[in-house]
Amino acid sequence: MASHYDVIVIGTGLTESITAAALSKAGFTVAHIDENLYYGGDEASLDLDDLDQWAKKRSAASDKPLSSPYLQAQAEKFVSISAVASPPPHSRQYSVSLLPSLIPSTGPFIASLIASGVSRYGGYKLLERVAIYHSAGLVKNVPGSKEDVFKSKDLSLVEKRRLMRFLLFAAGDFAGSKELQGHEDAPFIDFLRTTFSLSMDVATAITYALAFCSAASDPTLPALTRIHHYLRSSGRYGNSPFLVGHYGGAGEIVQGFCRVSAVVGGVCILARNILSIKQSPPPEGHPQPTYVVELEGFDEPLTSRLIISAPDYTPFLSNGTSQDNTHSSPPPFSSRRVARGVIVIDHPIYFPFLAPPSSDSDPIVGASVSTESMITPVDTAVLVFPPSFLPDGSSTTAAHAFITGAGSMSAPVGIVNISLPLDGAGSSPPDAKAILTPYVNATMALTKRPSSGDVVSDPIFTLFYIQNQLLPSNSENEVTPPLPDLETCFTTPPISPTLSECADSAAMNAEKLFWKAVNALKGHPTHTPGQGEEIPEGQDLVEIESFWPPLETIVDDEGDESW
Amino acid sequence: MHGVKRTRQSREAEEARKLKEQAKLKDYLLLTEDLLSRKKKKDWSKEAFDLATKLLHSNPEFYTIWNYRRNILINGIFPSSSVEEINSILSSDLSLTTSALKAHPKVYWIWNHRRWCLENVPPGPSSPTGEQTQGWRQKNWEREMYVVERMLDADARNFHAWNYRRYILSLFPTPPPPTQELKYTTHKIESNFSNFSAWHQRSKILPLIWEKEGKEREEEMRELEFDLVRNALYTDPNDQSAWLYHRWLIGPHPDPILLTREITSIQELLSEQPDSKWCMESLVHYTLLLISLTPETEREEMKSECRRLLAELAGVDPCRKNRYQEISERLGV
Repeated sequence: MASHYDVIVIGTGLTESITAAALSKAGFTVAHIDENLYYGGDEASLDLDDLDQWAKKRSAASDKPLSSPYLQAQAEKFVSISAVASPPPHSRQYSVSLLPSLIPSTGPFIASLIASGVSRYGGYKLLERVAIYHSAGLVKNVPGSKEDVFKSKDLSLVEKRRLMRFLLFAAGDFAGSKELQGHEDAPFIDFLRTTFSLSMDVATAITYALAFCSAASDPTLPALTRIHHYLRSSGRYGNSPFLVGHYGGAGEIVQGFCRVSAVVGGVCILARNILSIKQSPPPEGHPQPTYVVELEGFDEPLTSRLIISAPDYTPFLSNGTSQDNTHSSPPPFSSRRVARGVIVIDHPIYFPFLAPPSSDSDPIVGASVSTESMITPVDTAVLVFPPSFLPDGSSTTAAHAFITGAGSMSAPVGIVNISLPLDGAGSSPPDAKAILTPYVNATMALTKRPSSGDVVSDPIFTLFYIQNQLLPSNSENEVTPPLPDLETCFTTPPISPTLSECADSAAMNAEKLFWKAVNALKGHPTHTPGQGEEIPEGQDLVEIESFWPPLETIVDDEGDESW
Repeated sequence: MHGVKRTRQSREAEEARKLKEQAKLKDYLLLTEDLLSRKKKKDWSKEAFDLATKLLHSNPEFYTIWNYRRNILINGIFPSSSVEEINSILSSDLSLTTSALKAHPKVYWIWNHRRWCLENVPPGPSSPTGEQTQGWRQKNWEREMYVVERMLDADARNFHAWNYRRYILSLFPTPPPPTQELKYTTHKIESNFSNFSAWHQRSKILPLIWEKEGKEREEEMRELEFDLVRNALYTDPNDQSAWLYHRWLIGPHPDPILLTREITSIQELLSEQPDSKWCMESLVHYTLLLISLTPETEREEMKSECRRLLAELAGVDPCRKNRYQEISERLGV
């Protein structure tokens, strides 16, 4: 195994893995390191035993001195961890995603999935539904298309017209429009009510279930931009704008990117603690220093000209350099806390919609739509709890429960992933389990078949925790070195935590990082030809034109115009 | 460099493709010449039949060859075949044209050929007692319904498919009940109501049902139809198909109370969507209708409302300005 690389990427999270794959494919030598024994970092998908271990390692942290600064950082990030029940048997049949994510059918993430070839490694399914919790045991469908609006029995005629007007506005070119002028930062839900005269019910549905906002204060322009994106994504593969990755979503996809990197020669090292990261003076003719990374159990350190690191590993960088520690600046990002719950179910969930009015049950004309939802359970869906809709829930922020069933290949029956952003800073750390219990109960109430004598079932395993999330900033300059003198060392910026946005956010961050790395390494690549590739005569420099190089595709012979 | 090799390759591929095309064109022209001369000579052989099939593969719109091919069947192949063989030939022709339809869903001659095949399926098979059953025909009709439904799933607005569907339904000796067909149109309208054919089909089926169900039930069902179409109008006032259906529902001799109610509903829609041309146009049409049902003395207010709408229409729809002006002038008389 070589010991010198162009780039060492530390952490196998989603952003880091996409970046590593792109850099490998562009011809750079990449070593990819992670202290965990699984791929994915904070975006990993874990089976239940591994999830249990994950939780134990981070909650035991305060008891004894930690084996690594990385774990210390993780223990500060994930707090109030409590698991209920030990993992059920056949743990490997389950794949729990630490970052629940939806993949929009258009956008930077799916573009990268396809262009990198990673899409060929996995399977995907369309999200079936987004619904809003209405009251105990009932949910309301969220209309997101003209078809939904037409068929809806919950909306009056005037509400339908106004909702369509809004959807057309959002799907069109609203930048600079008179409706938007001056309202870009106003709360989105207020904008909907005043500018489009939408009722509270409809505005709530749009805000929390179409735009995936988390609070009533969320501003208009980002929410509108998201809706625009999702409206445009709908129809590419089916009725929903979103795909869900099989076998655990993001975590499974991460492995695809790591594989892509390995296929073209990238090296990946898991489960080794980092002992130190130091700088040594640049070799002759190079303006930049060499980084020296010592790993536990390795005789020789790894060296590189560039480091890309997940934030939880950056303490190594300030400790490991010979520079003054007082220069370490806090990351320029704001943060928030989010309560997360992982609930494993062994009875499927039903979405019983509000009973339709009598016209629908006319023997001749009646539509058959509503009764169907009363008997078939949902497989892959999102259940939204707007603020104040749940009596014991939050009155300021919305919770999103992401349900993945057997069809998503992540569980024999299903897993529910609940996220609830928390308001304000309390002095004492909040109790994740206590905060999320009302939501768990409301969700489990839906495991009872509607109008039947069934009893509500219990989860077979639950895990609660609070995650301190860094939030992305709006500035262009997100990718900054952690220390002023480390020009060739980058930390990955935070991903947007929103369920529908996180994947695209990671892809965009990865692309920015990729170009920064390319520019930093420019002119002196250690080019290792990929399989079958020839270096054209007279050219030993690689011109990188795009984020992903062209995929080898099978040229389709047009042939006869046969039927 | 990454990009270079591939363009060079595809330029070569382009040249190769062009050569292939030239070869294909040459073959096609030779085949056409051959077939047309055989047709002149009244060649009814199996060889000619197969050649015709081959030509139609590349050009299903060549109706002369379809005709020739059918003549081969009638004059050459059928006379020397048993009933079973005829049925089997027609069945395989139907399969052949199914694939053709997937690629060319709107070619008249393919639909035409299917009809011909259906009409020529012989009665059979014979039952044990020697009677002729409709077994083969029934089986083909059922398959045709399935094919037409797949076609309508792919393109719900393909009027060829809707016409063909009506044709098949008329063939069944025991046709499926109109209520089933109604449910089908409901299903199609719900998935996308911008579909003239689906609404049209509804307007053909409902009168059949109403005839059987009686006056009271008809009133009830009409109300449900108004409810359905009003939902479509409010969801998308720009969609003409819904307006046309509404006009059909109103009919030429509506009850004045019903008419007034619908006018009010459209006025509400117009206030929500002030630029809607169809709203204004329909209001004018219905108000004129109402005027004709109203005593002379109460007409003035409605007339001036019409004039106002027509003036606005002339602004919103300047291409038809003169038409609106003409209607307005006739009102004044």
